Amino acid sequence: MKEQVQNASGDAGTPLLAIQGLRTWFETDRGIVRAVDGIDLDVRRGECLGVVGESGSGKSATFASVMGLIRKPGRIVEGSIRFDGTELTSLDDRARRAMRGRDLAMTMQDALTALNPALRVGTQIIEVLRAHDQAASRSAATARAIELMQLVGIPAAESRIADYPHQFSGGMRQRIMIAIALACRPRLLIADEPTTALDVTIQAQVLDLIAGLRAKLGMSVVLITHNLGVVAAYCDRVAVLYAGQVVELGPTAEVIAAPRHPYTEGLLRSLPKLEDLDHPIEPIVGQVPDLISAPEGCRFAARCPHRRDSCAAAVAMRHVSPGRQVRCVLAEGAAP
Amino acid sequence: MPIARFVERILHLIPVLAGVSVIVFLMISLTPGDPVEIMLGDQRATPEQVASMRRDMGLDRPAVERYFVFVTNAIRGDFGQSFFHRRPVSAVISERLPATIELTVAAMLIAIGLAIPLGVLAAVRRDTILDRIATVGSLFGVSLPGFWFGILLILFFAVQLQILPVAGRLGYAMEVPAVTGFALVDSLIAGRMDSFWEVLRHLALPAFTLGLPSAAILMRVTRSAMIEVLRADYITFAEAKGLSRARIIGLHALKNALIPAVSVAALETGTLLGGNMVVETVFGWPGLGRLVVESIFARNYPLVQAAVLLYAVTYVALNFAADLLYTVLNPRVRL
Ligand SMILES: Nc1ncnc2c1ncn2[C@@H]1O[C@H](COP(=O)(O)OP(=O)(O)OP(=O)(O)O)[C@@H](O)[C@H]1O
Ligand SMILES: [Mg+2]
Repeated sequence: MKEQVQNASGDAGTPLLAIQGLRTWFETDRGIVRAVDGIDLDVRRGECLGVVGESGSGKSATFASVMGLIRKPGRIVEGSIRFDGTELTSLDDRARRAMRGRDLAMTMQDALTALNPALRVGTQIIEVLRAHDQAASRSAATARAIELMQLVGIPAAESRIADYPHQFSGGMRQRIMIAIALACRPRLLIADEPTTALDVTIQAQVLDLIAGLRAKLGMSVVLITHNLGVVAAYCDRVAVLYAGQVVELGPTAEVIAAPRHPYTEGLLRSLPKLEDLDHPIEPIVGQVPDLISAPEGCRFAARCPHRRDSCAAAVAMRHVSPGRQVRCVLAEGAAP
Repeated sequence: MPIARFVERILHLIPVLAGVSVIVFLMISLTPGDPVEIMLGDQRATPEQVASMRRDMGLDRPAVERYFVFVTNAIRGDFGQSFFHRRPVSAVISERLPATIELTVAAMLIAIGLAIPLGVLAAVRRDTILDRIATVGSLFGVSLPGFWFGILLILFFAVQLQILPVAGRLGYAMEVPAVTGFALVDSLIAGRMDSFWEVLRHLALPAFTLGLPSAAILMRVTRSAMIEVLRADYITFAEAKGLSRARIIGLHALKNALIPAVSVAALETGTLLGGNMVVETVFGWPGLGRLVVESIFARNYPLVQAAVLLYAVTYVALNFAADLLYTVLNPRVRL
């Protein structure tokens, strides 16, 4: 009883989302792809968490697991995902479906293919409201859909609500997808690469839009991106993923100013520097390990300039300073 | 579809139909021997009768002239006399046409009614026993000859179980006045539910026989389209929205999967026309298909010509309809 009251009031002490020891594997013809292999990650109430990492590091798979969208041949092998105190992995389909789109919402990596080409955008906004009983009637839902389209900055929303997705530009489709995700005022928005398909000005508009709505609605945001610049500008904390594991986690400013994991360091060095454009960018040499047969020890060792013998043994996350964790033998331990 | 493209498509039909009309016309001219004598066969006729028949058919004039007369008459719906029936060909055909349309529509309804739900189910439950059964079943449906299947159905339902009639359309006792020629509609007009039910019972076996091969093809198309669509990003996004499974499959996925399925259904309807000849003969169904078969054996050329032309026009029209439907269902093509 007491717990329930605490939950209802939004216990500020506990994180909104707590992922522990999550493993999501895909059984393919070639073997088992360990896309997510032991991820621990919290999302705090009201924060914006950046999630970065190379292509294939498991960013989308992690949060598809959170949403309950992993389909065959994939499977959550083990781990716990708690949302506001509720264990999601043990919920039945019905209860999960009721939470999807209402409490947790996600925008897809590719906005151009995420909207159904055969249905009007209005229908696609209205149906999520209706599915979660967020509108008393059809006309109330329509009015709310127009409001949502205006909220994400779509001009002439009243008339465009009857249009099909192909009649909108890529940026507009991205906005419509965000409008759908926000329709039921979720407490957690997972934005998977919300900007990849967009040019720079529209990118900033979409990100500002999400940031503005976060402040207005008080929701938590997970921003999945390749772009550390975006993380620096919009995220309170950042998690760096490598080969299905978190390798560094901490407040954005600290991580960017003084990365503690050689991979984070490499990522930062591979960015073009605005103040010194002549400075050559240095891509990280080597390739992401094959997730079917990832090494037992540090997964980055093969590409790491600081590699030593102790890297061959498995490395746990270490607390290096308050709120900062690193998965590297070089990182000096500190009391958490 | 923009009007200009609509008109363009219609214009494309003209050379096709012209080609068909030439072939149909040549049917008579290229047949070795004197068409009149062939048509008369063993029947005795005086030389005067032969000459007058030749004149009626215009055979005393040059081929090019005959072709143009043929086409102008055909456009007016005049295909000459059916010597055998001693009535105009058009009258004989329009009398038989409703029975064939009734059969074809029933077969198509059966095909669609079976294929779409089964195709969807097989795709959703992919690689389960149910999917295997449906897939193997459809393979049989595609590869077995329709008449063979029809005979099996007759043996089982009509001879063995005796729950359905062997052949025909309606017993004499059940005859209702022909208003539209469609026995189902006429029964309703006459208020005879017993006749209506009788027609349905007579329709069941031939319609199944005719429709099952199409159902098999349509099921395969629906299944593979559904499998393709269910992999799409917008289905994952629909799931992320927390929509019900029924809505995701029945609306989001099906609406996209139906685009190819409906086009195939329209094309299949054209294919059914050919199937009609066999099925109507096997089941003694008094439609156009059986009439054509009879006419071929009776060397009733004017009637065969008219029927072939009618088939061709219908086939082309159904193709056109398939195109139109594709456009209507697919908002990306519409303007
Ligand atoms: N359905 C699937 N079947 C097999 N393997 C999959 C499937 N989905 C993902 N994977 C594998 O899981 C790994 C992680 O994929 P994921 O999409 O999470 O990467 P990501 O970090 O989001 O990359 P990106 O930046 O390119 O989006 C990849 O190696 C990918 O090949
Ligand atoms: Mg991804």
